[in-house]
Amino acid sequence: MYMGKNIIEYRDLSIIHSHQKVLENFNLIIKEGEKVLIRGKSGTGKSTLFLCLLGLMRPSKGDVYFKDLPVNGNSVSVVRTKIAYVPQDVDVGRDSVNEFFDTIFSYNAVGFTPDFEKIQRLLEWFELDDSILKKEFKSLSGGEKQRIILILSLLLERNVFLLDEPTSSLDSSLKSKVVDYFVNDPSLTVVVISHDPQWEREGLRVVDIPNK
Amino acid sequence: MAEINLIQNIGVSGFIFCALLLILPFMVSYYFKLGIIKKSVIIVSRMSFQLFLTGLLLTVVFDINNPLINVLWVFVMLFFATYTILEGTDFKTGPFLPTMLILFSIANILVLFYFTGFIIKLDDIFEARYLIPIAGMLMGNSLRANIVALNDFYQDVKNNEQRYLYRLCVGASKKEALFPYMQRSMLSSLKPTLANMATMGIVFLPGMMTGQILGGVDPILAIKYQITIMVAIFVTTVLGVLICVIVVVEKGFDDYDLMVEDIKKV
Repeated sequence: MYMGKNIIEYRDLSIIHSHQKVLENFNLIIKEGEKVLIRGKSGTGKSTLFLCLLGLMRPSKGDVYFKDLPVNGNSVSVVRTKIAYVPQDVDVGRDSVNEFFDTIFSYNAVGFTPDFEKIQRLLEWFELDDSILKKEFKSLSGGEKQRIILILSLLLERNVFLLDEPTSSLDSSLKSKVVDYFVNDPSLTVVVISHDPQWEREGLRVVDIPNK
Repeated sequence: MAEINLIQNIGVSGFIFCALLLILPFMVSYYFKLGIIKKSVIIVSRMSFQLFLTGLLLTVVFDINNPLINVLWVFVMLFFATYTILEGTDFKTGPFLPTMLILFSIANILVLFYFTGFIIKLDDIFEARYLIPIAGMLMGNSLRANIVALNDFYQDVKNNEQRYLYRLCVGASKKEALFPYMQRSMLSSLKPTLANMATMGIVFLPGMMTGQILGGVDPILAIKYQITIMVAIFVTTVLGVLICVIVVVEKGFDDYDLMVEDIKKV
């Protein structure tokens, strides 16, 4: 069995959110190249696992490690630049898709601008027309938004993906296509939260978050 | 001193007539049940007392005209201005006061001495008769913009927190992710100052100019002062707003770049 380096580790993680225990003594190690599906009822703290890794939430107890580096005030900004995060919902204000991409790629730590051809290729792969780039992001349908965020996450050229319900608004053929893409690339470490059955396939490790 | 004698004195009877004028707002308040009669009596009395005290103190300060006392007076004004700004915001005054006071002092004093030194070219740049009223105009007129900047900026980030956090996740530094919010709050806080300048002289005659004209000063000299003071006010406002935004960026976020909640008033 392939045993890569530890990419993500949750050690004795407990999260109390507004006086309610969301997670208690949670442990999980995710190795390089692994594909992990996180399942559980809503409110069991699936998304908070992502938030803790990205430093958007502080655990009440325990630690989170990224490539054996504890996530804390010193490391968090570096950790954020190594992960491609696809949240359930993204608010970009009144920007068009193009402006949204431009903003993201203007950041120092992102450090490059993607080729236009690559963007076009991805749009085509996700069955979107070029004209979507000029549209206001806010005006797009749920499925279109989801695809744009996925495209952006791929444009960032990062190897670790945190996908929070990334396929919920896609039609089933596209769902399978996206799942194929993420599962079949051995260089990617992928953690996905999803209720879509397409993700439940061989080669994917399933982690069930217990109900409280 | 001949010019100053041109001003008509306001005597005791003048004050009685002035007080009589207040009957009109009292009647309005009574009819519409605004309940501001008592409040306005208190506030007008308070204002009169404050101004009377200031008048007395200024008389002494102008008389002595000691550079050290004049600068000290300016610092007392700076302290009250900073305090008033913070009291007008949603932020706790204590943690912000020292930093803001230092930064505001630097900005205001730079503009102030630039004004007295290079623009009106005073022989004595510490001359109380110029220094203190001009300092008052700079601070007083930038106050509102500072309050707006402080409140708007933090609230805007709060209202659009998702957007801010997503940008952080993608790899934006705190400053990069906050940049659009900084732009917006600066624009909205500077708008009134700009609008004010745009209508100046057409819609209203500003206070300083009116004062100088009443004092017998040639209107052309009065507008020269008005133009230069307006530019100085604008510069002070921009610097003040910049300081406010920087202080919130530095103090309003923790080492994870997340918004700090306990800096707000309860």
